[in-house]
Amino acid sequence: MNPLPTRLSGDTFAVRTSGLRKAFRKTVALRGIDLTVPEGAVYVLVGPNGAGKTTTLGILLDLVRADDGSAEALGFDSRSHGPDLRARVGYLPEAHNWENGWMNVRSLFSYHGRYFPTWDVEYQRRLEKRLEIETGRPYGKLSKGQSRRVQLVLALAHRPPLLILDEPTDGLDPLVRETTLSVLAEHMAECPATLLISTHLVHESERLADHIGVLRDGEIRAQLPTGDLHRLLRRYRAEVPEGWAGAPSLNGSVLRRSVGGREIQWTIWGEERVVRDALREAGAAVREVYSLSLEEAAVSMLSPEETTDVDH
Amino acid sequence: MYVYCTSQLIQYRTSGAATLLISIDPELRRPIYVQIMDEVRRGRVLGTLKPGDPLPSVRQLAAELGVNPNTVRQAYRELEREGAVYVRRGEGTYASDQPVDTSERRRLLIAVAERALRDAHRHGAGPDELLEAIRDAARLTEPEKPE
Repeated sequence: MNPLPTRLSGDTFAVRTSGLRKAFRKTVALRGIDLTVPEGAVYVLVGPNGAGKTTTLGILLDLVRADDGSAEALGFDSRSHGPDLRARVGYLPEAHNWENGWMNVRSLFSYHGRYFPTWDVEYQRRLEKRLEIETGRPYGKLSKGQSRRVQLVLALAHRPPLLILDEPTDGLDPLVRETTLSVLAEHMAECPATLLISTHLVHESERLADHIGVLRDGEIRAQLPTGDLHRLLRRYRAEVPEGWAGAPSLNGSVLRRSVGGREIQWTIWGEERVVRDALREAGAAVREVYSLSLEEAAVSMLSPEETTDVDH
Repeated sequence: MYVYCTSQLIQYRTSGAATLLISIDPELRRPIYVQIMDEVRRGRVLGTLKPGDPLPSVRQLAAELGVNPNTVRQAYRELEREGAVYVRRGEGTYASDQPVDTSERRRLLIAVAERALRDAHRHGAGPDELLEAIRDAARLTEPEKPE
């Protein structure tokens, strides 16, 4: 049983998919994805490599065709209005795209900019400086980190209402990573936009995220505001009597358990007051309760499901 | 809705340099907006943030900390509600003209005490034992005093 919420309430979504399924030959990549990103949110889609993140984003942009289900963004259906949708989205692909690699970066920007009526040259120049981009060099000859930054400018400089960034900080050194996060924060402050970021490195986008979706084995394990996560997913350290029988009333709400001697450390979903009462009733003396960082929470949510209470 | 933004409309620096240094704990066990609020309160109590001093703009602080601008807005909104700052529309956010009362200082210290108590509790000690240990520790370490 999965105690975590997988659906977001609300009605203004910048992105919405329903029942997305996809298999590559015999490998099932997606098993019915209902992903919803509220307008104006910074939504971080977390999951290990191969969980289906890139496939989901690909279907959203109509770069990959789903076997079943539908996807829409900014009110455009991905299948029937792919070009309209892509014109309004800033997309940072996971893979390096060496198309037009012979152009120098400056030409690439002005070439790319001509496709977007809202391309902001002023902003492009500011980003070049902030991200220390070598604009005179051929795009195809850049290092991985440099090309990543170029791709980021391509995604941001037309000020799209929706940004889809696939592993944006992958391959960047720590300093550039900080700059990138700062650029994204500033971008959001200047101009409202919805951000959908996919990553396997949660802690990097932790400070930006206000929603999180957890993807594992082609399924959404959890989808919720990070504030709820902070409030409702907590780690409890408690002292328990010898031969403790566990807390049956918490069955299904415990995400992770570790036991050391007469001390337990459980990660539990629920109102703290209710959980404390349940632990106390079961004979455990709670010593400490704390909220988890987004990274710790993601790890808990990605760990294999607890089935039944099997304490001895 | 499709909103077109131009960067030219926005000046990079707000008038008057912000005086407050805000840092947040990278572990993020406490919500970021609470941490920002605490930093502002601390600035007021310590006097590094004088009445009427400008706070960094939402944009500046978001960029500096790499945090969601809505988080900064939330912190400023709550600070405004409790009267620690005020907003001049279209200009910025400023530290309140009201002097900091002793209760504010007390609140900050209680928060420090709560953290210490939690830690003591984890080590099986109660408030009395903790108090004793604090006095012992204070005798051994003299905190540095600025000139």
